[in-house]
Amino acid sequence: MPAVGSDVVIAGIGETPVGRLPGWSPVEIQAMAVLAALRDAGFALSDLDGLINLDPYATPNSMFSTTLAEHLGVAPRFACTVDVGGTVTGMTMLQQAVWAIESGYCNVAACVYGENALTGRPVGAQGLHMHNLLGGEEWEEPFGLHGMVIPYALLAQRYLDLYGATDEDLAAVALVTRRHALLNDNAQMRKPMTLEDYRASRQISSPLRLLDCSLVSDGGGALVLTRSGRAPQGGGRGVAIRAIGMKTTHNSVALMPDIPGLGMAAAGADAYEAAGMGPEDIQVANLHDAFTISVLVSLEALGFAGPGEGGALVRSGAMDLGGRWPLNPHGGLLSQAHIGGMLHITEAVRQLRGEAGRRQVEGARRALVSGNGGIFSVCGAMILEKP
Amino acid sequence: MLDLLATPPNPTGASAPFWDACDRGELLFPKCGRCGHLFYYPRRHCPLCGDTALGWQRMSGRGTVFSHSHVHVAFQGGAWSGQLPYTVVLVDLAEGPRMLSRLIGADAPAVRGGDAVSVVFPQIGDRRYPFFERVPAG
Repeated sequence: MPAVGSDVVIAGIGETPVGRLPGWSPVEIQAMAVLAALRDAGFALSDLDGLINLDPYATPNSMFSTTLAEHLGVAPRFACTVDVGGTVTGMTMLQQAVWAIESGYCNVAACVYGENALTGRPVGAQGLHMHNLLGGEEWEEPFGLHGMVIPYALLAQRYLDLYGATDEDLAAVALVTRRHALLNDNAQMRKPMTLEDYRASRQISSPLRLLDCSLVSDGGGALVLTRSGRAPQGGGRGVAIRAIGMKTTHNSVALMPDIPGLGMAAAGADAYEAAGMGPEDIQVANLHDAFTISVLVSLEALGFAGPGEGGALVRSGAMDLGGRWPLNPHGGLLSQAHIGGMLHITEAVRQLRGEAGRRQVEGARRALVSGNGGIFSVCGAMILEKP
Repeated sequence: MLDLLATPPNPTGASAPFWDACDRGELLFPKCGRCGHLFYYPRRHCPLCGDTALGWQRMSGRGTVFSHSHVHVAFQGGAWSGQLPYTVVLVDLAEGPRMLSRLIGADAPAVRGGDAVSVVFPQIGDRRYPFFERVPAG
Protein backbone atom coordinates (compact mmCIF):
# COMPACT_ATOMS: atom_id res chain seq x y z
CA MET A 1 0.00 0.00 0.00
CA PRO A 2 -1.02 2.64 -0.69
CA ALA A 3 -1.28 1.35 -4.26
CA VAL A 4 -3.03 -1.98 -4.53
CA GLY A 5 -1.83 -3.57 -7.72
CA SER A 6 -2.91 -7.10 -7.09
CA ASP A 7 -5.86 -8.97 -8.49
CA VAL A 8 -7.51 -9.32 -5.10
CA VAL A 9 -11.09 -8.04 -5.22
CA ILE A 10 -14.07 -7.54 -2.96
CA ALA A 11 -16.22 -10.44 -4.14
CA GLY A 12 -19.01 -10.38 -1.60
CA ILE A 13 -20.79 -8.00 0.75
CA GLY A 14 -23.04 -8.75 3.69
CA GLU A 15 -25.27 -6.48 5.75
CA THR A 16 -27.57 -7.35 8.59
CA PRO A 17 -30.73 -5.43 9.33
CA VAL A 18 -29.79 -2.27 11.28
CA GLY A 19 -31.46 -0.43 14.10
CA ARG A 20 -32.61 -2.61 16.97
CA LEU A 21 -31.69 -6.29 17.07
CA PRO A 22 -32.87 -7.33 20.54
CA GLY A 23 -31.87 -10.84 21.47
CA TRP A 24 -28.77 -10.81 19.28
CA SER A 25 -25.21 -10.81 20.66
CA PRO A 26 -22.23 -9.18 18.94
CA VAL A 27 -20.76 -12.49 17.79
CA GLU A 28 -24.12 -13.58 16.39
CA ILE A 29 -24.44 -10.31 14.47
CA GLN A 30 -20.93 -10.62 13.03
CA ALA A 31 -21.58 -14.23 12.02
CA MET A 32 -24.82 -13.24 10.27
CA ALA A 33 -22.94 -10.58 8.28
CA VAL A 34 -20.12 -12.96 7.28
CA LEU A 35 -22.56 -15.64 6.15
CA ALA A 36 -24.41 -13.07 4.04
CA ALA A 37 -21.15 -11.94 2.39
CA LEU A 38 -20.10 -15.54 1.68
CA ARG A 39 -23.50 -16.24 0.11
CA ASP A 40 -23.21 -13.09 -1.97
CA ALA A 41 -19.88 -14.29 -3.38
CA GLY A 42 -21.10 -17.87 -3.78
CA PHE A 43 -18.66 -19.36 -1.29
CA ALA A 44 -19.37 -22.06 1.26
CA LEU A 45 -18.53 -21.51 4.92
CA SER A 46 -15.81 -24.12 4.57
CA ASP A 47 -14.06 -22.01 1.91
CA LEU A 48 -13.25 -19.33 4.47
CA ASP A 49 -9.60 -19.40 5.54
CA GLY A 50 -9.05 -15.80 6.61
CA LEU A 51 -11.06 -13.90 9.22
CA ILE A 52 -10.49 -10.32 10.36
CA ASN A 53 -12.81 -8.44 12.69
CA LEU A 54 -13.21 -5.63 15.20
CA ASP A 55 -14.45 -6.37 18.68
CA PRO A 56 -17.55 -4.57 20.00
CA TYR A 57 -17.14 -1.09 21.48
CA ALA A 58 -20.11 -1.29 23.85
CA THR A 59 -19.02 -4.57 25.39
CA PRO A 60 -15.26 -4.88 24.79
CA ASN A 61 -13.71 -8.30 24.42
CA SER A 62 -10.31 -9.75 23.80
CA MET A 63 -9.53 -12.49 21.25
CA PHE A 64 -12.70 -11.67 19.37
CA SER A 65 -11.49 -13.15 16.07
CA THR A 66 -11.16 -16.56 17.69
CA THR A 67 -14.55 -16.10 19.35
CA LEU A 68 -16.06 -15.45 15.93
CA ALA A 69 -14.17 -18.28 14.21
CA GLU A 70 -15.43 -20.81 16.72
CA HIS A 71 -18.96 -19.44 16.61
CA LEU A 72 -19.00 -19.57 12.80
CA GLY A 73 -17.56 -23.07 12.81
CA VAL A 74 -14.38 -22.40 10.85
CA ALA A 75 -10.67 -22.99 11.53
CA PRO A 76 -8.95 -20.26 9.49
CA ARG A 77 -5.23 -20.09 8.81
CA PHE A 78 -5.23 -16.37 9.46
CA ALA A 79 -7.42 -14.63 12.02
CA CYS A 80 -6.97 -11.32 13.78
CA THR A 81 -8.81 -8.46 15.41
CA VAL A 82 -7.85 -4.93 14.47
CA ASP A 83 -8.87 -1.65 16.07
CA VAL A 84 -7.43 1.36 14.31
CA GLY A 85 -10.37 3.72 14.65
CA GLY A 86 -13.56 4.54 12.82
CA THR A 87 -13.81 3.54 9.19
CA VAL A 88 -10.03 3.30 9.05
CA THR A 89 -10.45 0.01 10.87
CA GLY A 90 -12.42 -1.33 7.91
CA MET A 91 -9.70 -0.18 5.51
CA THR A 92 -7.04 -1.82 7.65
CA MET A 93 -9.04 -5.04 7.66
CA LEU A 94 -9.07 -4.90 3.86
CA GLN A 95 -5.30 -4.35 3.81
CA GLN A 96 -4.80 -7.39 6.01
CA ALA A 97 -7.05 -9.47 3.79
CA VAL A 98 -5.29 -8.34 0.61
CA TRP A 99 -1.90 -9.19 2.07
CA ALA A 100 -3.08 -12.57 3.36
CA ILE A 101 -4.40 -13.48 -0.09
CA GLU A 102 -1.54 -11.94 -2.11
CA SER A 103 0.97 -13.92 -0.07
CA GLY A 104 -0.80 -17.10 -1.04
CA TYR A 105 -1.55 -18.03 2.56
CA CYS A 106 -5.31 -17.51 2.23
CA ASN A 107 -7.80 -17.87 -0.59
CA VAL A 108 -10.96 -16.40 0.88
CA ALA A 109 -10.88 -13.81 3.65
CA ALA A 110 -13.75 -12.07 5.44
CA CYS A 111 -13.63 -8.68 7.13
CA VAL A 112 -16.43 -7.92 9.56
CA TYR A 113 -17.66 -5.62 12.29
CA GLY A 114 -20.99 -5.58 14.06
CA GLU A 115 -22.48 -5.36 17.50
CA ASN A 116 -25.59 -4.36 19.40
CA ALA A 117 -24.43 -0.93 20.54
CA LEU A 118 -28.01 0.30 20.76
CA THR A 119 -29.79 -2.45 22.67
CA GLY A 120 -26.86 -4.32 24.15
CA ARG A 121 -24.90 -1.71 26.04
CA PRO A 122 -24.67 -1.93 29.79
CA VAL A 123 -27.71 -0.55 31.59
CA GLY A 124 -27.22 3.03 32.75
CA ALA A 125 -24.14 3.61 30.62
CA GLN A 126 -23.96 7.11 29.15
CA GLY A 127 -22.42 6.38 25.82
CA LEU A 128 -20.28 3.33 25.30
CA HIS A 129 -17.46 1.86 27.36
CA MET A 130 -14.95 4.06 25.61
CA HIS A 131 -13.39 5.83 28.56
CA ASN A 132 -9.92 5.97 27.14
CA LEU A 133 -10.88 6.42 23.53
CA LEU A 134 -8.94 9.62 23.14
CA GLY A 135 -6.07 8.34 25.13
CA GLY A 136 -6.04 10.63 28.09
CA GLU A 137 -8.54 10.26 30.86
CA GLU A 138 -6.12 12.26 32.95
CA TRP A 139 -6.12 15.20 30.52
CA GLU A 140 -9.79 15.10 29.56
CA GLU A 141 -12.11 13.81 32.29
CA PRO A 142 -10.98 16.37 34.93
CA PHE A 143 -11.89 19.12 32.47
CA GLY A 144 -15.38 17.84 31.75
CA LEU A 145 -14.64 16.02 28.51
CA HIS A 146 -16.07 12.55 28.10
CA GLY A 147 -17.00 10.71 24.91
CA MET A 148 -16.82 11.82 21.31
CA VAL A 149 -19.34 14.65 20.94
CA ILE A 150 -17.39 17.33 22.84
CA PRO A 151 -14.17 16.87 20.82
CA TYR A 152 -16.14 17.15 17.57
CA ALA A 153 -17.95 20.19 18.95
CA LEU A 154 -14.57 21.83 19.57
CA LEU A 155 -13.58 21.02 15.99
CA ALA A 156 -16.89 22.35 14.65
CA GLN A 157 -16.63 25.62 16.58
CA ARG A 158 -13.11 26.09 15.26
CA TYR A 159 -14.39 25.47 11.72
CA LEU A 160 -17.17 28.04 12.14
CA ASP A 161 -14.72 30.60 13.54
CA LEU A 162 -12.00 29.96 10.95
CA TYR A 163 -14.22 30.18 7.88
CA GLY A 164 -17.22 32.19 9.06
CA ALA A 165 -19.41 29.16 8.39
CA THR A 166 -22.89 28.82 9.90
CA ASP A 167 -25.27 26.20 11.18
CA GLU A 168 -26.77 26.05 7.69
CA ASP A 169 -23.51 24.53 6.48
CA LEU A 170 -23.69 21.84 9.15
CA ALA A 171 -27.40 21.29 8.55
CA ALA A 172 -26.89 20.80 4.82
CA VAL A 173 -24.96 17.59 5.54
CA ALA A 174 -27.65 16.24 7.85
CA LEU A 175 -30.35 17.06 5.29
CA VAL A 176 -28.72 15.41 2.25
CA THR A 177 -27.87 12.22 4.10
CA ARG A 178 -31.46 12.04 5.38
CA ARG A 179 -32.83 12.47 1.86
CA HIS A 180 -30.67 9.55 0.81
CA ALA A 181 -31.60 7.36 3.78
CA LEU A 182 -35.24 7.64 2.74
CA LEU A 183 -34.28 5.64 -0.38
CA ASN A 184 -32.79 2.84 1.74
CA ASP A 185 -35.15 0.26 3.20
CA ASN A 186 -32.41 -0.80 5.63
CA ALA A 187 -32.05 2.57 7.38
CA GLN A 188 -32.85 3.55 10.96
CA MET A 189 -34.17 7.00 10.09
CA ARG A 190 -37.34 6.90 8.02
CA LYS A 191 -38.77 10.41 8.33
CA PRO A 192 -37.89 13.43 6.18
CA MET A 193 -35.90 16.20 7.87
CA THR A 194 -36.23 19.94 7.29
CA LEU A 195 -33.93 22.78 8.28
CA GLU A 196 -36.54 23.66 10.90
CA ASP A 197 -36.36 20.11 12.30
CA TYR A 198 -32.60 20.45 12.47
CA ARG A 199 -32.74 23.77 14.29
CA ALA A 200 -35.39 22.48 16.69
CA SER A 201 -33.22 19.55 17.74
CA ARG A 202 -31.60 20.04 21.13
CA GLN A 203 -28.11 21.31 21.73
CA ILE A 204 -25.79 18.53 22.81
CA SER A 205 -22.46 20.35 22.88
CA SER A 206 -22.47 23.65 21.01
CA PRO A 207 -22.47 24.14 18.11
CA LEU A 208 -23.54 20.51 17.62
CA ARG A 209 -27.20 19.58 17.94
CA LEU A 210 -28.73 16.14 18.17
CA LEU A 211 -29.18 16.03 14.38
CA ASP A 212 -25.46 16.75 13.87
CA CYS A 213 -24.67 13.43 15.56
CA SER A 214 -24.59 9.96 14.06
CA LEU A 215 -26.83 7.17 15.24
CA VAL A 216 -26.21 4.46 17.80
CA SER A 217 -27.06 1.20 16.09
CA ASP A 218 -27.26 -2.54 16.24
CA GLY A 219 -26.10 -4.23 13.08
CA GLY A 220 -23.17 -5.58 11.14
CA GLY A 221 -21.38 -5.41 7.82
CA ALA A 222 -18.95 -7.80 6.16
CA LEU A 223 -16.77 -8.04 3.07
CA VAL A 224 -15.38 -11.16 1.43
CA LEU A 225 -12.17 -10.93 -0.60
CA THR A 226 -10.55 -13.36 -2.99
CA ARG A 227 -8.63 -13.32 -6.26
CA SER A 228 -10.38 -11.94 -9.29
CA GLY A 229 -12.44 -14.57 -11.06
CA ARG A 230 -12.21 -17.00 -8.15
CA ALA A 231 -15.62 -16.39 -6.61
CA PRO A 232 -18.39 -18.72 -7.79
CA GLN A 233 -20.80 -15.78 -8.06
CA GLY A 234 -17.95 -13.51 -9.08
CA GLY A 235 -18.55 -13.10 -12.76
CA GLY A 236 -17.71 -9.49 -13.40
CA ARG A 237 -18.83 -8.33 -9.98
CA GLY A 238 -15.51 -8.19 -8.17
CA VAL A 239 -14.67 -4.65 -7.08
CA ALA A 240 -11.02 -3.60 -7.09
CA ILE A 241 -9.27 -1.69 -4.34
CA ARG A 242 -7.20 0.80 -6.28
CA ALA A 243 -5.53 2.61 -3.40
CA ILE A 244 -5.61 3.14 0.34
CA GLY A 245 -3.97 6.12 2.01
CA MET A 246 -3.72 6.62 5.77
CA LYS A 247 -2.32 9.11 8.22
CA THR A 248 -2.15 9.18 12.01
CA THR A 249 -1.35 12.59 13.53
CA HIS A 250 -2.47 12.62 17.17
CA ASN A 251 -5.00 11.10 19.49
CA SER A 252 -6.47 13.58 21.97
CA VAL A 253 -8.26 16.76 20.93
CA ALA A 254 -5.69 18.96 22.69
CA LEU A 255 -3.04 17.75 20.23
CA MET A 256 -5.26 17.93 17.14
CA PRO A 257 -3.67 19.98 14.34
CA ASP A 258 -5.63 22.97 13.09
CA ILE A 259 -8.10 22.11 10.31
CA PRO A 260 -5.78 22.60 7.29
CA GLY A 261 -3.25 20.25 8.92
CA LEU A 262 -5.57 17.36 9.71
CA GLY A 263 -4.38 14.00 8.41
CA MET A 264 -7.23 13.55 5.91
CA ALA A 265 -5.44 15.73 3.35
CA ALA A 266 -2.31 13.58 3.55
CA ALA A 267 -4.29 10.33 3.41
CA GLY A 268 -6.23 11.59 0.39
CA ALA A 269 -3.11 12.81 -1.39
CA ASP A 270 -1.50 9.39 -0.92
CA ALA A 271 -4.56 7.60 -2.26
CA TYR A 272 -4.98 9.92 -5.25
CA GLU A 273 -1.30 9.68 -6.13
CA ALA A 274 -1.23 5.90 -5.88
CA ALA A 275 -4.34 5.54 -8.03
CA GLY A 276 -3.27 8.25 -10.45
CA MET A 277 -6.61 9.97 -9.89
CA GLY A 278 -8.17 13.04 -8.40
CA PRO A 279 -11.62 14.12 -7.22
CA GLU A 280 -12.65 14.56 -10.86
CA ASP A 281 -12.34 10.79 -11.33
CA ILE A 282 -14.78 9.97 -8.50
CA GLN A 283 -18.54 9.45 -8.92
CA VAL A 284 -19.54 8.32 -5.41
CA ALA A 285 -18.33 9.98 -2.19
CA ASN A 286 -18.87 7.77 0.85
CA LEU A 287 -17.37 10.03 3.49
CA HIS A 288 -17.15 9.36 7.18
CA ASP A 289 -20.01 11.22 8.81
CA ALA A 290 -19.92 10.49 12.52
CA PHE A 291 -20.85 14.17 12.82
CA THR A 292 -21.93 16.68 10.18
CA ILE A 293 -18.67 18.60 10.66
CA SER A 294 -16.71 15.49 9.68
CA VAL A 295 -18.09 15.71 6.16
CA LEU A 296 -17.30 19.41 5.67
CA VAL A 297 -13.72 18.89 6.84
CA SER A 298 -13.31 15.78 4.68
CA LEU A 299 -14.77 17.38 1.54
CA GLU A 300 -12.18 20.12 1.77
CA ALA A 301 -9.26 17.88 2.73
CA LEU A 302 -10.02 15.56 -0.19
CA GLY A 303 -10.25 18.32 -2.77
CA PHE A 304 -13.98 18.24 -3.45
CA ALA A 305 -14.26 21.81 -2.15
CA GLY A 306 -11.91 24.65 -1.25
CA PRO A 307 -11.21 25.64 2.36
CA GLY A 308 -14.42 26.74 4.04
CA GLU A 309 -16.48 25.95 0.93
CA GLY A 310 -17.77 22.52 1.92
CA GLY A 311 -21.14 23.80 3.11
CA ALA A 312 -21.73 25.75 -0.08
CA LEU A 313 -20.91 22.66 -2.13
CA VAL A 314 -23.40 20.53 -0.22
CA ARG A 315 -26.09 23.22 -0.42
CA SER A 316 -25.56 23.48 -4.18
CA GLY A 317 -26.96 19.98 -4.63
CA ALA A 318 -23.65 18.55 -5.85
CA MET A 319 -23.73 15.90 -3.12
CA ASP A 320 -27.32 14.82 -3.81
CA LEU A 321 -28.22 11.88 -6.02
CA GLY A 322 -28.12 13.31 -9.52
CA GLY A 323 -25.39 15.74 -8.50
CA ARG A 324 -21.70 15.53 -9.31
CA TRP A 325 -20.60 13.58 -6.22
CA PRO A 326 -23.52 11.95 -4.41
CA LEU A 327 -22.66 11.71 -0.72
CA ASN A 328 -23.41 8.52 1.18
CA PRO A 329 -26.33 7.29 -0.95
CA HIS A 330 -27.15 4.75 1.78
CA GLY A 331 -27.74 7.49 4.35
CA GLY A 332 -24.43 7.16 6.16
CA LEU A 333 -23.76 7.09 9.87
CA LEU A 334 -26.04 10.09 10.31
CA SER A 335 -29.23 8.57 8.92
CA GLN A 336 -28.74 4.91 7.99
CA ALA A 337 -26.82 3.41 10.92
CA HIS A 338 -23.42 3.62 12.60
CA ILE A 339 -21.75 0.30 11.90
CA GLY A 340 -18.25 1.69 12.19
CA GLY A 341 -18.26 2.69 8.53
CA MET A 342 -18.45 -0.88 7.23
CA LEU A 343 -21.62 0.05 5.40
CA HIS A 344 -19.80 2.89 3.63
CA ILE A 345 -17.70 0.15 2.03
CA THR A 346 -20.53 -2.29 1.30
CA GLU A 347 -22.52 0.60 -0.23
CA ALA A 348 -19.58 1.60 -2.40
CA VAL A 349 -19.37 -1.97 -3.71
CA ARG A 350 -23.11 -2.08 -4.35
CA GLN A 351 -22.97 1.22 -6.24
CA LEU A 352 -20.04 0.08 -8.39
CA ARG A 353 -21.83 -3.14 -9.24
CA GLY A 354 -24.85 -1.12 -10.32
CA GLU A 355 -27.05 -2.93 -7.79
CA ALA A 356 -28.19 0.02 -5.66
CA GLY A 357 -31.75 0.13 -6.97
CA ARG A 358 -33.57 3.44 -6.62
CA ARG A 359 -30.53 5.10 -5.07
CA GLN A 360 -28.16 3.99 -7.85
CA VAL A 361 -25.64 6.66 -8.88
CA GLU A 362 -25.72 6.81 -12.67
CA GLY A 363 -22.39 5.99 -14.27
CA ALA A 364 -20.70 5.03 -11.00
CA ARG A 365 -17.25 3.71 -11.87
CA ARG A 366 -15.17 4.77 -8.89
CA ALA A 367 -16.03 5.44 -5.27
CA LEU A 368 -14.00 7.23 -2.67
CA VAL A 369 -14.48 6.00 0.89
CA SER A 370 -13.06 8.14 3.67
CA GLY A 371 -12.80 7.37 7.32
CA ASN A 372 -11.41 8.76 10.48
CA GLY A 373 -11.05 7.48 13.97
CA GLY A 374 -11.01 9.53 17.12
CA ILE A 375 -11.08 13.24 16.34
CA PHE A 376 -9.50 12.95 12.87
CA SER A 377 -6.75 11.26 14.88
CA VAL A 378 -6.29 8.56 12.26
CA CYS A 379 -7.54 9.24 8.75
CA GLY A 380 -7.97 7.03 5.73
CA ALA A 381 -9.04 7.42 2.11
CA MET A 382 -9.69 4.50 -0.21
CA ILE A 383 -10.58 4.36 -3.90
CA LEU A 384 -12.65 1.46 -5.19
CA GLU A 385 -13.26 0.75 -8.86
CA LYS A 386 -15.82 -1.29 -10.76
CA PRO A 387 -14.60 -4.25 -12.75
CA MET B 1 -24.20 27.37 39.18
CA LEU B 2 -23.84 24.83 41.95
CA ASP B 3 -20.42 23.98 43.32
CA LEU B 4 -17.98 22.93 40.61
CA LEU B 5 -17.53 19.24 39.93
CA ALA B 6 -14.42 17.59 38.52
CA THR B 7 -13.49 13.98 37.94
CA PRO B 8 -10.16 13.56 39.76
CA PRO B 9 -7.10 12.58 37.74
CA ASN B 10 -5.11 9.44 38.46
CA PRO B 11 -1.56 10.76 38.00
CA THR B 12 1.44 8.68 37.01
CA GLY B 13 4.91 9.26 38.37
CA ALA B 14 5.56 11.43 35.32
CA SER B 15 2.50 13.62 35.73
CA ALA B 16 2.30 13.95 39.51
CA PRO B 17 4.49 17.12 39.58
CA PHE B 18 1.98 18.81 37.24
CA TRP B 19 -0.93 18.13 39.56
CA ASP B 20 1.06 18.85 42.73
CA ALA B 21 1.98 22.25 41.25
CA CYS B 22 -1.69 22.95 40.57
CA ASP B 23 -2.38 22.35 44.24
CA ARG B 24 0.15 25.13 44.96
CA GLY B 25 -1.46 27.43 42.37
CA GLU B 26 1.25 26.96 39.73
CA LEU B 27 0.95 25.79 36.13
CA LEU B 28 4.05 23.74 35.19
CA PHE B 29 4.65 22.22 31.74
CA PRO B 30 7.44 19.77 30.95
CA LYS B 31 10.42 21.06 28.99
CA CYS B 32 13.10 19.01 27.29
CA GLY B 33 16.56 19.52 28.76
CA ARG B 34 18.15 18.59 25.46
CA CYS B 35 16.20 20.33 22.69
CA GLY B 36 14.23 22.84 24.75
CA HIS B 37 10.83 21.66 23.49
CA LEU B 38 8.02 22.81 25.79
CA PHE B 39 5.07 20.45 25.60
CA TYR B 40 1.74 19.28 26.96
CA TYR B 41 0.86 16.81 28.40
CA PRO B 42 3.56 15.41 30.71
CA ARG B 43 5.36 12.30 29.54
CA ARG B 44 8.58 10.56 30.52
CA HIS B 45 10.27 11.56 27.27
CA CYS B 46 10.33 14.52 24.91
CA PRO B 47 7.91 13.84 22.01
CA LEU B 48 10.09 15.93 19.70
CA CYS B 49 13.55 14.44 20.22
CA GLY B 50 12.96 11.44 22.46
CA ASP B 51 15.27 12.55 25.24
CA THR B 52 14.37 11.69 28.82
CA ALA B 53 16.20 14.54 30.57
CA LEU B 54 13.17 16.71 31.28
CA GLY B 55 12.57 19.73 33.48
CA TRP B 56 9.55 21.87 34.32
CA GLN B 57 8.75 25.40 33.23
CA ARG B 58 6.39 27.64 35.14
CA MET B 59 3.80 28.98 32.68
CA SER B 60 2.36 32.48 32.73
CA GLY B 61 -1.13 31.01 32.74
CA ARG B 62 -2.20 33.50 30.07
CA GLY B 63 -3.53 32.40 26.73
CA THR B 64 -6.22 32.72 24.09
CA VAL B 65 -9.22 30.56 23.24
CA PHE B 66 -8.60 28.31 20.21
CA SER B 67 -12.06 26.75 20.43
CA HIS B 68 -14.85 26.21 22.91
CA SER B 69 -18.07 24.27 23.45
CA HIS B 70 -20.97 24.73 25.82
CA VAL B 71 -21.90 21.26 27.01
CA HIS B 72 -25.59 20.52 27.57
CA VAL B 73 -25.47 16.79 28.35
CA ALA B 74 -24.16 15.16 31.54
CA PHE B 75 -21.78 12.76 29.78
CA GLN B 76 -20.04 11.97 33.07
CA GLY B 77 -23.23 10.95 34.85
CA GLY B 78 -26.33 12.35 36.50
CA ALA B 79 -24.35 14.13 39.22
CA TRP B 80 -23.26 16.58 36.54
CA SER B 81 -26.80 17.76 35.76
CA GLY B 82 -26.33 20.79 38.00
CA GLN B 83 -23.19 21.80 36.08
CA LEU B 84 -25.04 22.20 32.79
CA PRO B 85 -24.32 23.96 30.63
CA TYR B 86 -20.61 24.15 31.28
CA THR B 87 -17.89 25.32 28.92
CA VAL B 88 -14.94 23.30 27.66
CA VAL B 89 -12.10 25.23 26.01
CA LEU B 90 -8.93 24.61 24.07
CA VAL B 91 -6.48 27.26 25.23
CA ASP B 92 -3.34 28.30 23.35
CA LEU B 93 -0.93 29.26 26.12
CA ALA B 94 1.17 32.36 25.55
CA GLU B 95 4.29 30.17 25.57
CA GLY B 96 2.95 27.96 22.77
CA PRO B 97 1.43 24.66 23.82
CA ARG B 98 -2.32 24.08 23.70
CA MET B 99 -4.26 22.49 26.54
CA LEU B 100 -7.82 21.37 27.11
CA SER B 101 -9.55 22.92 30.10
CA ARG B 102 -12.77 24.34 31.45
CA LEU B 103 -13.78 27.98 31.25
CA ILE B 104 -15.53 29.18 34.39
CA GLY B 105 -17.00 32.48 35.51
CA ALA B 106 -20.29 34.26 34.91
CA ASP B 107 -19.19 35.49 31.47
CA ALA B 108 -18.17 32.07 30.14
CA PRO B 109 -21.36 31.69 28.03
CA ALA B 110 -20.34 34.76 25.97
CA VAL B 111 -16.85 33.46 25.10
CA ARG B 112 -15.57 33.87 21.52
CA GLY B 113 -12.62 32.36 19.71
CA GLY B 114 -9.46 34.41 20.33
CA ASP B 115 -10.62 35.76 23.71
CA ALA B 116 -7.89 36.29 26.30
CA VAL B 117 -8.06 33.92 29.26
CA SER B 118 -6.05 33.34 32.39
CA VAL B 119 -5.60 30.30 34.59
CA VAL B 120 -7.29 29.96 37.97
CA PHE B 121 -7.03 27.08 40.43
CA PRO B 122 -10.40 26.38 42.09
CA GLN B 123 -10.42 23.86 44.93
CA ILE B 124 -12.74 20.96 44.06
CA GLY B 125 -12.72 18.12 46.53
CA ASP B 126 -9.15 17.17 47.39
CA ARG B 127 -7.45 18.96 44.50
CA ARG B 128 -7.10 22.26 42.75
CA TYR B 129 -7.72 22.23 38.99
CA PRO B 130 -6.15 24.42 36.27
CA PHE B 131 -9.30 25.98 34.84
CA PHE B 132 -9.50 29.31 33.01
CA GLU B 133 -11.44 32.56 33.23
CA ARG B 134 -11.89 35.27 30.63
CA VAL B 135 -9.70 38.33 31.07
CA PRO B 136 -11.73 41.57 30.84
CA ALA B 137 -10.90 43.47 27.65
CA GLY B 138 -8.67 46.55 28.02
